[in-house]
Amino acid sequence: MLRWLILPLLVIPLSWVLLTGFSVNPNEVPSALIGKPMPSFSLQTLSGETLDSADLAGRPVMVNFWASWCGPCVTEHPLLLDAQRRYGDRLAIVGVIYQDSTDAARAFLDKHGDGGYPDAVDEGSRLALDFGVTGPPETYFIDSSGVVRAKQFGPLDAPALQTKLAMIGVSE
Amino acid sequence: MRALLLPVSVAALLALGALALFTALQPAVAPTRVEQAARLATELRCPDCAGLSVAQSTTSSAATIRAEINAQLAAGATPDEVRRHFVQRYGEWILLSPTSPIAWLLPIGLLLAACVGLAAWLLRWRSPAPAAAAPVAAAELRRVRDEAEALDA
Repeated sequence: MLRWLILPLLVIPLSWVLLTGFSVNPNEVPSALIGKPMPSFSLQTLSGETLDSADLAGRPVMVNFWASWCGPCVTEHPLLLDAQRRYGDRLAIVGVIYQDSTDAARAFLDKHGDGGYPDAVDEGSRLALDFGVTGPPETYFIDSSGVVRAKQFGPLDAPALQTKLAMIGVSE
Repeated sequence: MRALLLPVSVAALLALGALALFTALQPAVAPTRVEQAARLATELRCPDCAGLSVAQSTTSSAATIRAEINAQLAAGATPDEVRRHFVQRYGEWILLSPTSPIAWLLPIGLLLAACVGLAAWLLRWRSPAPAAAAPVAAAELRRVRDEAEALDA
């Protein structure tokens, strides 16, 4: 009797561990910020203005960490430009330049298009550390009450963008 | 030569024991802030590296974390508070050693269970169970008894 129990007792948990283990990206770090308020900040933008997180209150926000040296950021960029066109004032998009020079960031926008939304300069990666960023591109979705609701690890694609925007109350 | 082996071994063991006792009885010296910062840097994972600690990495994020550790310790935060500061932002992932006791106890438990299982299997393998006597049919038993009685007669 015991012999017949041993096999399923070993096989079922092992299969479960393997199935769940292989279905997640081991490099992906789940955000500790989900359900918590967005870190506050006050940063200079590429155009020389000051961007304060308090100014974003009451609107859904999408914070995108990017760099000119990051290949996947190039792939993702048209999607951000499209989101800015499509949602306009209903969504505040904030780009945060991650470990990059302002000259290189400006050259990137000249080449790939400037969406018109602010791109903040994060000296010493302080805001990136407050958000728990591990590398660009990474995007955080904050609802209109200022709570972080979702994170995109790596480049966004259209379905992921739509799903995560819906989580902060932004839809077509 | 062999006669010396026992006294030398005993002396070595005694010396080791004395050293351990001496170390254990040493008054604990509070680590300096620089030592605390260096230790914290070895415990925290560099966010944009592959498997390196903040102490080992030269990236800008690692440098910022090292500066943040120093700033927080200088402002009077305890090492635990500094650790918590980073865990709140990155989750437990930022710590290079897991804090959950399960992570440490599970492998030991599995190893012990495997040893017990192996020992039980080896013991069974070394002393095979005696073969059970085959049941004897009643008719057969009666026939043998009859034959025995016939022989006695």
